[in-house]
Amino acid sequence: MNTIIFGSIALISLYAFFKLSKLKASSRQLKRNDRINRFDHQPKENIIEGDSEEIKDSDDEK
Amino acid sequence: MSKHSAINRFGRSGNPAFTKNFNGFIDDLPISDRMTLDGAVNKTGILLATCFGGAFIGWNIPQLMLPAMIIGFILAMITIFRSPSNAGSTAPLYALSQGIFLGAITMFFEQSYPGIGIQAIGLTFGILASLLLCYKTGLIKPTENFRLMIFSATFGILILYLVNFVMSFFFGSSIGFIHSNGLFGIGFSLFVVGIAALNLVLDFDFIEEGAEKGMPKYMEWYGAFSLMVTLVWLYLEILRLLAKIRR
Repeated sequence: MNTIIFGSIALISLYAFFKLSKLKASSRQLKRNDRINRFDHQPKENIIEGDSEEIKDSDDEK
Repeated sequence: MSKHSAINRFGRSGNPAFTKNFNGFIDDLPISDRMTLDGAVNKTGILLATCFGGAFIGWNIPQLMLPAMIIGFILAMITIFRSPSNAGSTAPLYALSQGIFLGAITMFFEQSYPGIGIQAIGLTFGILASLLLCYKTGLIKPTENFRLMIFSATFGILILYLVNFVMSFFFGSSIGFIHSNGLFGIGFSLFVVGIAALNLVLDFDFIEEGAEKGMPKYMEWYGAFSLMVTLVWLYLEILRLLAKIRR
């Protein structure tokens, strides 16, 4: 009895696993802003952030 | 709208030297060389079949348990830290050696607790399928905080097991509650089973994201391998939990 119950749970679960895994996850799962970002590296910016002073034309003339 | 006026006025640099990153590399891959969900699932099937084959060997030749466990551990370390790109060759060997180990250990447990093996298999695959359903429907949403929590808990359990191993190997004693069949011991085992199960969600998300972003083909093997590692751990913990309950 033990073997029949747990054996059928295993078989049904394996069948469900192989059927479900090939389906894409729902948009509720995929279109979230807080998803883990494993592969997507942000491009490096070529602008150095920080305090800067505006260069005025009058500075060049000096 | 960016807060930097220069970016707003001129846009981000289009110079490939500045924008070249991992995604740029992925974009160059032909479609046939990219990871797919189907591919990862098929490879998981191959690894599971190999593991069952190994379990048959281990069940009949239990003397292979210790060598298989050590070889499996070494193969896992090589796959994770040295060459994820060679997972196609190391992952089936890992599945085979862990299958032998699991087959032998299940045989030993079966001698003390008849029927425990099929119960553990049923529960392991039951958890696998139900968590996959929860993940696919968006019921469980893995976030960075979720990952951090699971990583911390997994690392904590690893340290605890390591301390227990060192204590029992060198001093002949161990951390009692890990093996006890009291309320605390069973509670600890339930906690470990929960953490192992939640690691599955991270594996599903890894495979889903890899396929979505078109990662290289070898990542199918790597994704299947990581799922196998978690499944082996989950099975072992369920086996221990059931043994504690029936003791």
